[in-house]
Amino acid sequence: MPATPRKYIILAYLLAGLILIVASYSLPLWLPGDFVTAAYSGSEITLTAVQAQELHAFYAHDQSLRSYMADVFTLKWGYSYVFQVPISELILEALPWTLVLMGSAHVLATVVGFIAGVEMAWRRGRLVEKLGVGGATVMAGVPELGVGVILLLVFSLHLGWFPAAGGKTVYADYAGCAQLLDLGRHLTLPLTTLFLAYLPANFFLTRGSMVLILGQQFLETARVKGLPPIRIRYAHAARNALLPLATHFGMRFAFMVTGAVVVETIFAYPGVGALLFNAITLRDLPLIQAIVLFSSLAVLAVNLCLEFIYAFLDPRVRYVS
Amino acid sequence: MSPDVWKKLTSDPLFILGAALFAIMAFLLVGGSWLGVHDPHDMSFAPLSSPSLQHWLGVNDGGMDIFAELLSGIKNTLVFSLLAGLTSLLLGVVIGMLCAWVGGLTDQLLMRFSDILLAIPSIMLLILVAAFFRVSAPVLGLILAAMTWPTTAKIVRAQALVIRKSLHIQAARHMGASGFYIIRRHMLPELFPVYLVGFASKLRMAISMETTLSFLGLFDPARKSLGMMINYALKYYYLDIWWNWFLPPVLCLTMLIMATTLISLSMERVFDPRLGGFVEAGSR
Repeated sequence: MPATPRKYIILAYLLAGLILIVASYSLPLWLPGDFVTAAYSGSEITLTAVQAQELHAFYAHDQSLRSYMADVFTLKWGYSYVFQVPISELILEALPWTLVLMGSAHVLATVVGFIAGVEMAWRRGRLVEKLGVGGATVMAGVPELGVGVILLLVFSLHLGWFPAAGGKTVYADYAGCAQLLDLGRHLTLPLTTLFLAYLPANFFLTRGSMVLILGQQFLETARVKGLPPIRIRYAHAARNALLPLATHFGMRFAFMVTGAVVVETIFAYPGVGALLFNAITLRDLPLIQAIVLFSSLAVLAVNLCLEFIYAFLDPRVRYVS
Repeated sequence: MSPDVWKKLTSDPLFILGAALFAIMAFLLVGGSWLGVHDPHDMSFAPLSSPSLQHWLGVNDGGMDIFAELLSGIKNTLVFSLLAGLTSLLLGVVIGMLCAWVGGLTDQLLMRFSDILLAIPSIMLLILVAAFFRVSAPVLGLILAAMTWPTTAKIVRAQALVIRKSLHIQAARHMGASGFYIIRRHMLPELFPVYLVGFASKLRMAISMETTLSFLGLFDPARKSLGMMINYALKYYYLDIWWNWFLPPVLCLTMLIMATTLISLSMERVFDPRLGGFVEAGSR
């Protein structure tokens, strides 16, 4: 969004974060009753006043907005109904899996998409390029749900090459290389699914900006200087295509998170997405609330950081605002 | 829209393919209901029976006809996405146009507000609202629209600001045309391609949003949808029912997303020939 001055964007992120926290604080207040009545009203158990009060103190937010905000930032997110453990423990346990899965898928998709985009833009109009663009178009049209399910059916159900669920083999005490191999085997299918989901956007973005860059005059100069084509492509042209890739990452990040939720659920991968799915299935309201708040704040934080990185990468942004 | 652009669009293979996929879905919907499928909520059939003349895709674990479920799911997904997509587009166009025409403080406030909305991941807010209040599908669609209008509004605003300065608008103003008249007669029609491109990408976003939400089980369980069918069938994937229960909703979903992707790609290519690819890929 080049039209908006940077300070407003940063302000918008901060306000959005505040709105999310306030929404997360006040939504449960609008429930008929509260967490405790919602959980126990349909059950056979009749609570005494003391019990109700204790449960209330254990689960619900009998607190002001200010102390709620303090709790959000000190990881005091209350207790899960179903698992009966602190929510922060559950999320922090699941987080590394998600970070590894999303991070590796993102890095792979960016690198491959970037190189493919540069090469295809260079070969614009040839058969290879048409095939590549066609393939990426088809890939963009297949949802993660479809890719994931088909990979699951083919590679884990019929061929049996990869495990269908989990992040590691339970009760198998692998060490060293065997452990890494086991983790890798479990990671392969979800990683492939996410990689295929993230790839087309990176590819089209790079190709789009490269096509515009390749028509510019400084490349003509580079060619006239007699530089080898690979140097022209990467050292001169492609570095300019890096910038849009970085800026669009922020716009896509929320969608990447959504994709990760779906993929983790399909492959029962023990990350935050699968935790969210289980929380929704079990109607564990405090856990849902905490995961939603945590991941939206994470999305905001990443976008805010990007805003600064972007200014660092592109001096024009710094000087304009 | 000029007939020239229309011709270009209808001769674009991507557009033809996307429209054909939509036509197949429409044919399935109309043909299916014309042939008189079973009631998707009827639970009186033998659970997990294989496909037969009676039940084309067999019966699921709850004794419901899968083909009827599938048709009902496609219909619900489309209704949700059309509602969310059209409302979001309408809000975007109206607000974008208003900002461009009125300017000043209104413009500033609305644009800052839209920056905030753009920053909030809409899926997360929808999950929160759906999990806490069990709201109905149309309400969720409207909330989605209320979250996603800023992308359209920004584009419409930017384009409208350019058009506003052009000579024929100046001429119309000098002849004493009112603001409403100029917007209605000149500005709105001239931005038509923007609406088409915006609508196609909004539709795609709404379809994947609906499937994700229903896959997570956030809609009313009685409301049939593709995501929910996939979710239920996923629990039985090791049985030999994957090709008649699991695959059909996955294929239909893929066809829907593919159709909207192809159409929005093709529109961006025709209306913005500079690039020949899509920049908005994966963004909302």
